[in-house]
Amino acid sequence: MNETPRALNRVLLTLIGLLLIAVGATAVALAAVPALAGTWHALTRRAGAGIENVLAATTLPGQRDSWLWIVLALVMLVLIVLMIAWVAQQGKGRASTLAADYNDDGGPGTVELGAAVAEQALKTALLEREEILHATVATYEFRGTPGLRVRVLPRKGVPPYLVAEQVSDLVEALDLVIGRETPVVISIGTSARARLGRTERVH
Amino acid sequence: MSGTDYQEHYDGQATAYEAGDRFNDRLALRETRSSRAPAAIIAAVLVSLICLYVLLEAALKAIGQPAWLLEPRDFAAWLNQLPRNVPTLILGTSGVLILFAGLFFFLHGVLPGRLHRHVLPSRRGIAVVDDEVLASSLARRARTRANVTEEQVLVTVSRTLVEVQLRPTSGIPVEESAIQSAVEDELLHSHIDPMPEVRVRVSTSGVVGQ
Repeated sequence: MNETPRALNRVLLTLIGLLLIAVGATAVALAAVPALAGTWHALTRRAGAGIENVLAATTLPGQRDSWLWIVLALVMLVLIVLMIAWVAQQGKGRASTLAADYNDDGGPGTVELGAAVAEQALKTALLEREEILHATVATYEFRGTPGLRVRVLPRKGVPPYLVAEQVSDLVEALDLVIGRETPVVISIGTSARARLGRTERVH
Repeated sequence: MSGTDYQEHYDGQATAYEAGDRFNDRLALRETRSSRAPAAIIAAVLVSLICLYVLLEAALKAIGQPAWLLEPRDFAAWLNQLPRNVPTLILGTSGVLILFAGLFFFLHGVLPGRLHRHVLPSRRGIAVVDDEVLASSLARRARTRANVTEEQVLVTVSRTLVEVQLRPTSGIPVEESAIQSAVEDELLHSHIDPMPEVRVRVSTSGVVGQ
């Protein structure tokens, strides 16, 4: 639960993949089929002549080179900035406010509930349980709505539906305290400590 | 409350519920699929490095300085002469490498990328469980039913199949159907949808001295 742009990731990965496949396939084809060399020469010669014409047409009088090089440099700069922006989008969405009440009820000011309130309350309650080795609670925003992500690492052999039920109980208790229902994702996983540790024996 | 008011109230509730349901469905889908963030970061770094180099050469050209590594015209001529000026083996190998890199990114973009997780029904929000956790709980159930130790049971869970491999203690027979029903009962409790098929294999050779 976060705001990683998954659709964008897939579209861009597919595009970049197709581009690389095209380049690689061309190289393999040239290496494997000698008959293609003639076509390749003719094709690249025509393309090269076209580029030369464009470069000559865009060279200002008194200048040595075309101003298209400046345009190319600027395009590259924009592409680099876009790539950095794309990387910055990954895993975004950590929020510090769980709930805010901006409804004007006549009183001065607004009420904001920090994410740490719910996170620490849930975490403390979870870690008190014998069958749960470790728990982390974090607040993420998904489509503009802050929600809680609860990652629970139970001891080996504990039925996951029981863990889910217990976490649900705790979250419902938290709902009562906070006074509103936030989206919740309960993720039950395992760790090296759970694998090596002793199994739960008492039920 | 008049009839129309009630109807409106009810409709409002229904849409709110549906919207919440759809929101949860989206969340469940996100939790069980890979976000492709690592591949995206690799691709972005690769593209930026290439762009950075082209930017440098283009800028040098724009201010009328000699090229740093490759004069663009020389490079174009080299491309034009391609199959002749490079040994076939090197050209083919580098082509295959680029092809594989492209395939890596393309498949990451196209394949569903399911994580090894199952969605559990829960009263509040959504709950997902890693297959490993599910397997260890099923293994515990099979182990207590067959009265064997932890090392004698191996459970693997995939999306549609649960495989239980059990090595009984020598001299103490284990009933396959009993293990099957115990594991199925445990699975039924977790309400996984769709319910995976359970396959139990009790090996013919036993373990001595447990």
